[in-house]
Amino acid sequence: MAARSLLDLDDLSSAEITELLARARAFHAAPPPRTLLRDVCVVNLFFEASTRTYTSFAIAEARVGADVVALPPGASSLGKGETIADTALTLAAMGVRAIVTRHPESGFPYRLAESFDGHVINAGDGRHAHPTQALLDLLTLQMEFGTIAGLRVALVGDILHSRVARSNVFGLCALGAEVTLVGPPTLLPDAMVCAGVRIERNLDRVLPEADALMLLRIQRERIASAVLPSLEDYARNYRLDARRLAMLRPKAIVMHPGPYNRGVELTEDVFAFPGWRYAQQVSHGVYVRMAVLDLLVNGFESARGAERVRSA
Amino acid sequence: MNAILLRGGRVVDPSQPLDAVRDVLLRDGRVAEIGEHLEAGDADVFDASNCVVAPGFIDMHVHLREPGHTHKETIATGSAAAVAGGFAAVACMPNTEPALDSPALVAEVLRLTRAADLARVHPIAAITRGRAGKELAPYWLLHDAGAVAFSDDGFAVRSARVLRQAALYARDVPGVFISHCEDDDLKGDAVMNEGARSFELGLAGSPGLAEDVLVARDVLIGGDTKKPFHIAHVSTARSVELIRFARAADIGVTCEVTPHHLLLGDDGFANFRADDKVNPPLRSPGDAAALRAAVRDGTIDAFATDHAPHAREEKAQLLGEAPVGFSGLETALGAYAEALPDLPLDRFVALLSTNPARILGVPGGTLAVGAAADLTIFADRPWRVDANAFYSLGKNTPFDGRTFARRAVATIVGGRFAFRDGAVRGQDPARRSRTSAP
Repeated sequence: MAARSLLDLDDLSSAEITELLARARAFHAAPPPRTLLRDVCVVNLFFEASTRTYTSFAIAEARVGADVVALPPGASSLGKGETIADTALTLAAMGVRAIVTRHPESGFPYRLAESFDGHVINAGDGRHAHPTQALLDLLTLQMEFGTIAGLRVALVGDILHSRVARSNVFGLCALGAEVTLVGPPTLLPDAMVCAGVRIERNLDRVLPEADALMLLRIQRERIASAVLPSLEDYARNYRLDARRLAMLRPKAIVMHPGPYNRGVELTEDVFAFPGWRYAQQVSHGVYVRMAVLDLLVNGFESARGAERVRSA
Repeated sequence: MNAILLRGGRVVDPSQPLDAVRDVLLRDGRVAEIGEHLEAGDADVFDASNCVVAPGFIDMHVHLREPGHTHKETIATGSAAAVAGGFAAVACMPNTEPALDSPALVAEVLRLTRAADLARVHPIAAITRGRAGKELAPYWLLHDAGAVAFSDDGFAVRSARVLRQAALYARDVPGVFISHCEDDDLKGDAVMNEGARSFELGLAGSPGLAEDVLVARDVLIGGDTKKPFHIAHVSTARSVELIRFARAADIGVTCEVTPHHLLLGDDGFANFRADDKVNPPLRSPGDAAALRAAVRDGTIDAFATDHAPHAREEKAQLLGEAPVGFSGLETALGAYAEALPDLPLDRFVALLSTNPARILGVPGGTLAVGAAADLTIFADRPWRVDANAFYSLGKNTPFDGRTFARRAVATIVGGRFAFRDGAVRGQDPARRSRTSAP
């Protein structure tokens, strides 16, 4: 059978997401032996600058004992006119079993997976998907609240351009959270509404009922491209500051995929808020990525039972 | 000397009008007689029973890529694709390299057409020099050289002032102005239609508004200048409403629709492949339904494929880099019939023949005795689309693998079979299995 890939969270059933989060929690509780991916060659194929995700994958790969080759942006022959299919063929011929990839264009990992005889893990494609970020966010929520079903989660800001938002909406809905998207119409078109998701333009109305806020990065380029008038105008309605923090429930948490812009989508008051979970999110990313590598390469229990490809 | 007798076909000619089983005798490149039980004499007899015999189909919107992009298509390969798809004539767009903006280039297209000796090719010349949107092309000289219409297709003429001046200057030049209506500023770097599906896929979308605003502008410029305008490949429900509005205001405007905009919606946009990437983009299913209704009620004047072949490796690139468009000539009859199975045959023929001939002011579109013997013979015989078997060098189509009912059975140009028994005249059918340019 074809190797499993993780292109977006809809590649996983709810049961598999749950198993993956459980595996990540197990790794968090006790580090596994560094042999889970012994003799498995993984290539990190990043076409976009990345600090957090790249480092997190590199650490995760080391902790499961994979052989890792990193191709920094610009080093790939894809830039020299080689087709995606030819790159995939070349890497597979060298025995590469998995490719972790980030690309500025939506859909790149899908096109790669069509041609690659192995696992493709999407580390972010354009504005489309970022499944491991969504998984680490789910893990953070689960470890905070115990269960995700019934949680009220609001995603705030530039939903339109956010791969983090897209993947999170899918994962949150799959696990039964109540999702609210919050932002101005240029960053959150009316047509983005989908089954089980509510759109709200007024953040202040959402704050008193939310269990968790996911803030998204606001890019300054949105002003030059006439999507936002000014950061101050955005801040009037959507920046999380001391006044808005005070409207949150006592046990509510605030998350951000990073990198955050101080003074734009949040003020420094947020860093002193007891529910600020940014550092936990980053930490959870390593365990989630270890679990992704382990389960894709060695197989999900919930999917195949005894049919494991390799014994660890 | 040279005669063909088409025996026992259902002859559908909206220009007469005629819809009856008849024999059709062609002699010396002309329609000689239509009647019952005609004597064959020395004629080559073709059994057209269970087929429709119609005036030759004219695709008024194709890209033949020559000069300049002959790895995508040539006038010879495009002509072969045309007759294989049932088209006796095509009108080719001027977005070649260089653009068709000089009499010499128009003459060269016509020379290559004679050399290919298959379909008639009517050159459409540019509205602005180099299609750059700044200076006017020499309309009278282009007309003298053989241009039948004018268009900067691929782009809109950005400046309303330039387009207005062009239309005023060219008002008395025979040849309609064909408008490609997409505002590139609103469109941005879009690769598909803006809507729920583009948001879901995280792809940049172009709103239907990008078309609507320019349809509105161009019909108003047409009304202001009295130059006839033709709106290419309408794709939105609102465009159709604007065209109805223009006609109600006594502004003469015509329009065309492609098979893909009638049959496909952005909801089917799949797997980040560029097969469905086209300008204007595949719109919502609601837009496609509105276009089908506009065909039925007569708002749409013509069917046109926007045949836009590219090399396979070009279309295999990432969505953002892959070029727009795909082959259309060899799937058109099947796709139109699939989209509008209930469309009366006389309307089907009018949209593909009589009306494009009238809009372009070219011969054809009729089987009147004495008219040029350009005919399309088609039938409903289910077939499976195999892009690898196209005569066109462009092997990409969103219809690959689909089964369609309707297809061309034979195509006659100037009284000679250009396509018959599944083969184009002078071409080895075995070559159709090739997968790339020779």
